[in-house]
Amino acid sequence: MNEQARDSFEERSHALFQGSVDSLDFALRSRLTQARSAALDAAAAASRRPWFLRKFSWTPAAGVTAAAVLGAALWFGPLGHPNVTAADAPSLEDLEIVASSDEGSGDTMDMLQNDIAFYDWANNAANPGPAA
Amino acid sequence: MPRFDTLNPAWVVWDGPSPAPEGAVLEYTRELEKFLADIERRAFRMAQVALRDPDDALDVVQDAMLKLACKYAARPNAEWRPLFYRILENGIRDLQRRRSVRKRFMAWLPGTREDPDNEAQDPIDNVADAAPAIPERLMQAQAMQQLEASLRALPARQREAFMLRNFEGLDVAGTAAAMGCSEGSVKTHYSRAVHSLREQLGEVW
Repeated sequence: MNEQARDSFEERSHALFQGSVDSLDFALRSRLTQARSAALDAAAAASRRPWFLRKFSWTPAAGVTAAAVLGAALWFGPLGHPNVTAADAPSLEDLEIVASSDEGSGDTMDMLQNDIAFYDWANNAANPGPAA
Repeated sequence: MPRFDTLNPAWVVWDGPSPAPEGAVLEYTRELEKFLADIERRAFRMAQVALRDPDDALDVVQDAMLKLACKYAARPNAEWRPLFYRILENGIRDLQRRRSVRKRFMAWLPGTREDPDNEAQDPIDNVADAAPAIPERLMQAQAMQQLEASLRALPARQREAFMLRNFEGLDVAGTAAAMGCSEGSVKTHYSRAVHSLREQLGEVW
């Protein structure tokens, strides 16, 4: 193929394309104009934002923050439920001693009965009544 | 919708916290309006050749306009054309990728079938045109359709190189900037594209 043939082919292609551009109908031209205006309107709206919002998007930062908060919540335990350790848990052993009413282990009631004079004095000292 | 002339010209990108000089902004606005008005129809046709669907082509062109106006308006005017076409080609590629993914996904769903050519039939297309067709214009339209079909059969990079060089008239350096490759690659892609097209269309043309 010689250079002339190549040129004619390219020229014909270009002419055909230009013809198809020129023959775009009015409705399509109108839509293109509207698209241009819409794009420029959107650009205008974006430019009215403050410069620090315009420079970069906050979306990634917000996503990272949310992920960090979620991770912290999962790591440190569910929200609203403070950690319960073994030391804080109610001891069943202590409860058993207090509630015990077995015949051979009535130490609590015995202790209360033996010191009843002391508790009576303590009550009077804490709530001094009118002198008799 | 308000005409572009009535828009507030202060939208043009200005990086500094202080307001841009009004005269400079006005100049940018006019230049950009002129540039976009000049380029939009060719850009649309090129997008339509690649995507077939006029609505998709319109969306891609509008996105390219928006990105150029928002991000690159302050760049020198000489850079607008390659920048615009780079944005446009990226948009076309993204859309084609999304289409292929959607097609693959839709193939798994029972009872769904995409239109084979992705061209929904518009009833208005079937209405006879009242004006008599001019034979010469009809022949040109047919030739353009054949050219479009052959272009779609080309590899994407060859098609891009051909359209940017031949249709848009960009030089090698501008085409390389728009395609994001070296000038040598542009020459190779363009040469192969012309060779393939001539082989396919030689008999018809």
